[in-house]
Amino acid sequence: MSFKVATPDLPRQFHGKWNKNVYHVLRELGRGANGAVYLTTQGGVKRAVKVGFEGMDILMEVNVLKSLQQGRDSRVGPLLCDVDDLVLNGRPCTFYAMEYLDGDQLDDYIQKAGVEWVPVLIVQLLARLDILHKHGWTFGDLKPENVIVTRQDKQVSLIDFGGVTKLGNAVRQFTEEYDRAYWHAGDRRSEVSYDLFSTAVMMVRLVVDSQTWHMSLGEPRQTQILCDIIRKSDSLYPYRVPLIKAFHGKYATAHEMRAEMLAILRESTVAPASPAPTKQQGSGTGGKWISSLFVASMLLLAGTLYYAWFL
Amino acid sequence: MFSLLRVDTVAKTGRMGRLFVKEATLRQILVVTDGCSNSGMSPVAAAALAREQGITVNVIGVIDKSELGEKGETEIRDIAEAGGGLCDIVYPQQLAQTVQMLTRKAMTRTIHQVVNKELQEILGDSGIEELAPSKRVQVAGMVDELGEKSNLNVVMLVDTSGSMKPKISAVQQAIHDFSISLRSRSGQSRMAVCSFPGKHQHLDVRIPWTDKVEQAHQLTPDLAMSGITPTGPAIVEAITLFEHIKLPQALSERYRESNVEDGEGDLRDHVF
Repeated sequence: MSFKVATPDLPRQFHGKWNKNVYHVLRELGRGANGAVYLTTQGGVKRAVKVGFEGMDILMEVNVLKSLQQGRDSRVGPLLCDVDDLVLNGRPCTFYAMEYLDGDQLDDYIQKAGVEWVPVLIVQLLARLDILHKHGWTFGDLKPENVIVTRQDKQVSLIDFGGVTKLGNAVRQFTEEYDRAYWHAGDRRSEVSYDLFSTAVMMVRLVVDSQTWHMSLGEPRQTQILCDIIRKSDSLYPYRVPLIKAFHGKYATAHEMRAEMLAILRESTVAPASPAPTKQQGSGTGGKWISSLFVASMLLLAGTLYYAWFL
Repeated sequence: MFSLLRVDTVAKTGRMGRLFVKEATLRQILVVTDGCSNSGMSPVAAAALAREQGITVNVIGVIDKSELGEKGETEIRDIAEAGGGLCDIVYPQQLAQTVQMLTRKAMTRTIHQVVNKELQEILGDSGIEELAPSKRVQVAGMVDELGEKSNLNVVMLVDTSGSMKPKISAVQQAIHDFSISLRSRSGQSRMAVCSFPGKHQHLDVRIPWTDKVEQAHQLTPDLAMSGITPTGPAIVEAITLFEHIKLPQALSERYRESNVEDGEGDLRDHVF
């Protein structure tokens, strides 16, 4: 639909102007706001190649991927393999090649594997976000389409870094459904809490069917609507406290939210028969857990009173 | 290109980044329409005129069930091309995010062009394309940062001819939403909202220059829905809203008056 921001079709084979790597194009994998991604082989290895006409946007993504690669901690997204130029229809284009991650889009995977995977994958996702945030970036355009679950080892990975924004700047790209400002819950400044808000909305989205979801997108767009969905859903209800805290920007780090989600997840998997999944106890992970939960619960007390209707 | 930076000295000291930020004000007109213009001068010529005066013109076509038609699409593309901006055709639901994205991409592009011009002076004819991608990554980071920090003035020019009626609520939402996006930037941002055709002129100023739009919902009641679409003349009048351009006598009186009026109105709002 968008022709000015449109991306070119690649020839079946091309090579980079600087590094001279030769790529054989197999098929298109998808399109983002900044360009199109193709599956290719280069020297017998599968690579995902992203091409766009607006070189600066592509290079910003490279910038992010590069900065993430400098740390040796666990992975956030695909590894960057090559950055180069090619000429398409007489115009110079910038492209980059990255490791090809074979897997399903997050929402497709949940469809196939079941909603019980939602909290597990969200906890994983929060770990990825935590690393990204520690590097000084927020993801920005967080949505199921930008998260994949690898086929082999069921690991969550972020893809499409076009929305990744330096902390403190204005979010570069967003999708209304997962956007904090759309829900009248804050502005569009790149903050840890912006990503956590999107994560919480995404968790709700992944659990409900698309009809319920689309009904909830009408006016007024307030997080109250999301709270109503959470209250009615057996899968979401146990996670209501972290979800609501995320809606209200109460977490300073993704790690904090992850810890609370994980505690609930453990509780529900350790004692699946328990009819009251609301109690929070550190299940044998030591005093640190319990004391942090105590602090958290003190904080929550005020919140709980505020959300008294919810209990 | 325009008063973005003191080109010569800056380029030679190789510190364009720092000075650039101080000087940069980006000016844009964003046209939101759903069809072809049918009155007055060519909107493509008007966009070219805007670009000559340092104003980028972006265009968003809003479609409903009905398509824009080839003629409408071509016009939108040509306006953006001549205005040095970008365009997109979207459904009303996508309007808000498209407004933000086009604005940002057009800013990046403008800054890129200016930076590229600087680089050409340093590197010779070819400019940035002759830099290896690994070097250009650093330039990209700088361009992005400049985009964030520079001042931005945007006039939203909303087509309120009859066929836009069902889409106006989405437009209002987008106006309010855009103000949130602008507020989230580090650089100073201002926006103004105009509708065309105006009651008496080609365009009515709905929201004068402001950095905060809370009153978008007030837009509805007096929106005049009319059959003619004078996109070209409206762009020409929108150009005059940017203060760096000297207004022709007739227009200057009109706009100065309305600006002062609304400025006071704004103040009153803040007092209460």
